[in-house]
Amino acid sequence: MRKLLIWLLMAGIAVLLYFTLITAYRVFSSDLPVPVQKEVHSDRYRIVLISQDLDTPFWSEVERGALEVVDQYGVSLEVRGSFGRNERDFLNNLEIAIVSKVDGIIVQGLDTESFIQLTKLRATRYGIPIITIANDVPANESLRRTYVGSDHREAGRMIARQLLSDMGTAGKVILIASDHGEHFQRERLEGILEVLDQQAGMQVELVTSAETREQIARTVNEVLNREPSTRAYIAVADAFAGVIAQEIGKRYRVEDFFIYSFDSSPEMLTLLKQRKIDALLAQSPADMGRESVRLMVEWLEGKHLPLDPKGYFTDIRIVKAEQAQ
Amino acid sequence: MSGIQQKMLLLSGIVLMAMSAIWTVLTYFNQQTQEQYNQILQRYLRMNDVSNLSGQTVALLNDYMLAPDEGKLIAFHRAKERLLQARNGLEDLRTPENDITLTNYMNMIDSLSETADSVILFIKQMNMEQSNKRFDETARISKYLSETTLDLMNIDLNTYDEFYRSMIEKSSALKQLGFFILGLSTLLLLLMAYWLSVSITRPIMKLTHAARELSRGRFDQRIEIESNDEISFLAKTFDRMRININNLISEIQHNAQLESELKENKLRLQESQLRSLQSQINPHFLFNTLDTLSKKAYLEGAEETSDLIASVANLLRYNLKRLDRSVTLREEIDVMMRYLEIQKARFTERLQFEIVVDEALLHIRIPSLTLQPIIENAVIHAVEPMEEGGTIRFRVHGDEERVHVEIADNGAGMSESVIRRILEEHAEVEPEGHSTGIGFSNVVRRLRLFYGEEDIIDIRSEQGQGTTVILRLPRHGGMKHDTQAADRG
Repeated sequence: MRKLLIWLLMAGIAVLLYFTLITAYRVFSSDLPVPVQKEVHSDRYRIVLISQDLDTPFWSEVERGALEVVDQYGVSLEVRGSFGRNERDFLNNLEIAIVSKVDGIIVQGLDTESFIQLTKLRATRYGIPIITIANDVPANESLRRTYVGSDHREAGRMIARQLLSDMGTAGKVILIASDHGEHFQRERLEGILEVLDQQAGMQVELVTSAETREQIARTVNEVLNREPSTRAYIAVADAFAGVIAQEIGKRYRVEDFFIYSFDSSPEMLTLLKQRKIDALLAQSPADMGRESVRLMVEWLEGKHLPLDPKGYFTDIRIVKAEQAQ
Repeated sequence: MSGIQQKMLLLSGIVLMAMSAIWTVLTYFNQQTQEQYNQILQRYLRMNDVSNLSGQTVALLNDYMLAPDEGKLIAFHRAKERLLQARNGLEDLRTPENDITLTNYMNMIDSLSETADSVILFIKQMNMEQSNKRFDETARISKYLSETTLDLMNIDLNTYDEFYRSMIEKSSALKQLGFFILGLSTLLLLLMAYWLSVSITRPIMKLTHAARELSRGRFDQRIEIESNDEISFLAKTFDRMRININNLISEIQHNAQLESELKENKLRLQESQLRSLQSQINPHFLFNTLDTLSKKAYLEGAEETSDLIASVANLLRYNLKRLDRSVTLREEIDVMMRYLEIQKARFTERLQFEIVVDEALLHIRIPSLTLQPIIENAVIHAVEPMEEGGTIRFRVHGDEERVHVEIADNGAGMSESVIRRILEEHAEVEPEGHSTGIGFSNVVRRLRLFYGEEDIIDIRSEQGQGTTVILRLPRHGGMKHDTQAADRG
């Protein structure tokens, strides 16, 4: 009996010893992973990329392109942005960047009074260079250093030419634009009109709409009611082409229509493949990101003085339905 | 020697050491964790501090704007100073993850301070429009600061995420470890206490067992305890005591035996004294009568008879007088010769006697009445039963150390067992009918006592060939006490 008790005791000790060692190992094996104060590059240039459309594939590409070259130039890039076109947040981000006294701001141009005020007065007061990207603002008003992105006027021309080559030189074309009337839209419109106005047989009508899907759909329906015979549509603002194709599709065969877009998002590419739209204008967002960072760094380092105020244009090209296959 | 006390001290020492070691390690570890935790907490506190200070600065600026006076201005400047101080301290918080944000943060504080200064400037210039605008800016920057504070904390939370998780994990492991160690040490302590108690009680049980055996009177079992503490010392002492008692008991038994022998001897002495008293009843009457008989026989012409009676009287006198003292060998031989004369008268031709004596050896001392009983024995056994009679040869010769006295007969011989009994002094073998009442065994005993040697007498006998008794008497020595012996003649 006593022997048994002793053996039980021993067994208990062995088991407890095992668990104790296991637990002790867990406790003492590794030190707590306190983040060490590694080398900190606080002397790098701090560049901020600000956009209000960070959720779009276009801007993801821009961001990707910019981040690609960050290490190459040895700068730190901070991407700030808001989603879903919140102008207030966008401006706040811009102001935060300004009061944070970053070394350079690469920003999506916004053609509004507050934006211009902010860039003109505040950024200049803090001596921060601003490069607009993708969308430009009028150079003389904003005091931006330069613009990196597509040449929207040329883009308008290219789409117009494509329209002419698809449809012929006579007919009517409806241009649907956003009622924001941003600088890049005006440029596109001007480019389109530049080409189409040369053709005496071309009739052009400009329609504007708010940017919500319902509003666009309503506008398209109004136009369809009023102009049932018109077969050509150009979506000047980015998101419009999808809604236009959808609304037309409810009444007619979309394939019979000529629909053009300046948007190269996956949604548009899908529509293009289905031949619901006829051609779109592809931009080079990654190039914009890369190029803007390069120019900013070169300007900060004094290598590239002065920057061309007209801007540095990135590649644009027409993608047709056949090519999208 | 590791005594019980030392064992107990050792046990408590081990327990104490183990406990304090565990305590130290756990405390140290806990403290370390606590310190790290505090360090991180401090980061948040500092960030929060900055955020609060900026809010405070803006609030004071607002106060000043509403009603400018020196006191409020000083309060504002003080708050601003503290904010800038806090800002300078922020550099310590830099990590790779929050690098940019922290720089932004610090620059924002600078911006805040600059803008606030410009507000003061515009107020002093009474430019209300500009000062209001700048104040709005200041307030916005303060708001951004709060937001960025949250961002920084967020980044920190992400940075330290792993740390927190492992800390939580470790602290729970630590708690478990505490319980395991508690359990383990409890069991170990139990086991050690058991061993200790066994190491103490087992020898005690053995000792108890041994004591019980001893109390039952078994002194022959060894007490063995294989430990090296006080108990084993006790056991050894106990064992020695057992041995001593054992020795004492055997000694007592020996003594008791000796005592009983002594008593027996005393009884025998009394008996013999009584007997000698009896035999002395009226020796003078007997001697006188024998003398008268001897004279009468001489007067009547029977000279031989007269001599015979005189010999008997002399022999009797000698016997009665000289039992307790030593005499010379010569005297003994004289008495022996007288006895032989008497026997010769009895057996005539049947008794042949030959004697060869070295005269030079007859002066040695010998207890009285030693030869006569031996001769008498020879006569009784070798001559009396033989119809044709027998021959007794008596010889005295010597060497450097000893005088050899040989009495040989040619009788039937003695058996081995009889010889042994005689040499072992067994009184009961004495046959009755001795004239002196002194038996062979008595002679042997007295000889041994007298010379203090055992090897004084030798009996050789062969069945049908006769018996030879040899006394080997030392030339020098013998009892000194014969001088003290009382003359009881």
